[in-house]
Amino acid sequence: MDKRNIETSPGAGAAGHEVLARVTNLTRRFGGLVAVSDLNMEIRRQEILGLIGPNGAGKSTTFNLISGFFKPSSGRLYFDGKDMTGKSALEISRAGLVRTFQHGSLMRSMSVYENILIGAIGALPRGTKKERAARVEETAEMLGLGPYLNEIAGTLPHGIQRLISIAIASAPRPKLLCLDEPLTGLNQTEVMTTLGVFEKIRQVFGCTILLVEHNMKAVMQICDRIVVLHHGQLLATGTPDEIRHDDTVVSAYLGKRHGD
Amino acid sequence: MHKIFHNQQVFLTLTLAILSLGSLLLRDAYSINLAIWMALAALCAASLRFVTLIGELNFAIAAFYGIGAYGAGAALTVYNIPFLPALLLGGVIAALVSLVFGYVTLKTKGPYFLLIGFAFTEVMRILYARSDWLGGNSGMVGIFPPSGFGNYFPLFAIGLCSVMILALYLIERSSFGKILIAIRDNDNVVLSVGINVHLSKVVCFGIASFVAGIGGSLHGFTNNVISPGDFGFLLSTFTLAYLKVGGENSPFGPLLGSIVLLALGSVAMGMGAGEHIFYGAAIVIAVLLFPNGLVGIFSWGYKKLFSHAESKGGKVGQMHEPRPAAKPLHKKEQVNG
Repeated sequence: MDKRNIETSPGAGAAGHEVLARVTNLTRRFGGLVAVSDLNMEIRRQEILGLIGPNGAGKSTTFNLISGFFKPSSGRLYFDGKDMTGKSALEISRAGLVRTFQHGSLMRSMSVYENILIGAIGALPRGTKKERAARVEETAEMLGLGPYLNEIAGTLPHGIQRLISIAIASAPRPKLLCLDEPLTGLNQTEVMTTLGVFEKIRQVFGCTILLVEHNMKAVMQICDRIVVLHHGQLLATGTPDEIRHDDTVVSAYLGKRHGD
Repeated sequence: MHKIFHNQQVFLTLTLAILSLGSLLLRDAYSINLAIWMALAALCAASLRFVTLIGELNFAIAAFYGIGAYGAGAALTVYNIPFLPALLLGGVIAALVSLVFGYVTLKTKGPYFLLIGFAFTEVMRILYARSDWLGGNSGMVGIFPPSGFGNYFPLFAIGLCSVMILALYLIERSSFGKILIAIRDNDNVVLSVGINVHLSKVVCFGIASFVAGIGGSLHGFTNNVISPGDFGFLLSTFTLAYLKVGGENSPFGPLLGSIVLLALGSVAMGMGAGEHIFYGAAIVIAVLLFPNGLVGIFSWGYKKLFSHAESKGGKVGQMHEPRPAAKPLHKKEQVNG
């Protein structure tokens, strides 16, 4: 098929070109269904990489494969210079790859402080109470959650809950922060707030961010590069501008053109 | 907020101390025995509650209680090991078995875990009955505490139960306890930040089973006789009743539930088989009418009296209107996901 790889993208903003994570020939089958097929992509240090595609394109599966929640049927995963193929989700998260989940990525019955504390405990397994508390407060401050620390997470508005999820995941200061549809169900104001938080997390914590998202406007606005999946295969890679003007991407989203 | 938690800790310590020392005031043998059974029931309920922190219902508690009883009993009567090491051995054996059992079975969740626990309890019961060196069907006799205790064995037993109930609560309050509660709420998130969820669950289960095992040892020393029938699934069911009636969201729940149900149960004893109906009815009524148990009723009454009192967090807190957020980004909306 016409698998295209636009790798001539120098205008990647703040992102460097050093590769943090790479998947090669990644394939995952569920019975007869091939959810992800022969996928090759890389994530570069300090970039915000968008992973998009129509429903059923294999975004979530790719996400689960990279974070170790699914094992690949074939192909390899490299992260931070090491071969992490077949490693468990625990090993991958300890190597510095932390993800969030699409459906509720927080502890609803616990306070915001305790929620972020879980992230801090993960980051500092042998840390003292003081070190962990400092980490929680620093993270909460960065994400603007300071006023909510004593509230029960499940009682807070949706937008705040999303920020809490991101706070938990960023408390370990991961090398790669994978966010699964963090903007779904947010209004425009909240989307802007959250995008600002992503930028801050990248700059202050030095995280690389992989973003799976349906909100095209937001993806185009914040991502340095975008990977488009379609039917489990790589359709295109490039800067937002390149993707926006890519015929195959447009036809995948809007349907085939005449004579295509 | 923090102050209230702190107070709860002090309050629990005081309550347990008063109850333990209060047992010295009891004179007649029946009341003293009832007090020990209450303490053991509360200990079991606290152990059961400890496993609910990771969101699992541990129906294998009767098995580990039994392993503790048979472990200590065999150590004392078969191998002539002295009292204290034998008592400890009951807990240690229960903990060791539970670590292996938990490592294998805690990969399952919810009803599956419950059913495995149920089956394990029955397997253990049949195993005792078939083991002649453990006394077989007729059980094991002659499990006496050393005579040096004099009249103070009840105090020792109740005191030890109290210390362990308090210890479970302190663990619950620690960072490790926070991990356990977080696992109940959302285990994937805990895993994703690099915490070993499975190991945490196994350790939680091991701690709960150690406590249950010590409880079982004390059961043996209190009753002096143990038999396989003492450690069937009914014991797990009763323990669940104590916890549900008392209220599982508070460390006081197991205490309150055990004391109230055993006190009522000793009255209901005259009903013969009706006793079991009584416990079943207690679970149904508690679950239907008082989802937060007796503790829930008390804290509700407390709030009515002192409307300024803050809720104590957990699910009790969720029953009430959420406090308004300082700067909500938009209108309140409870979306599950």
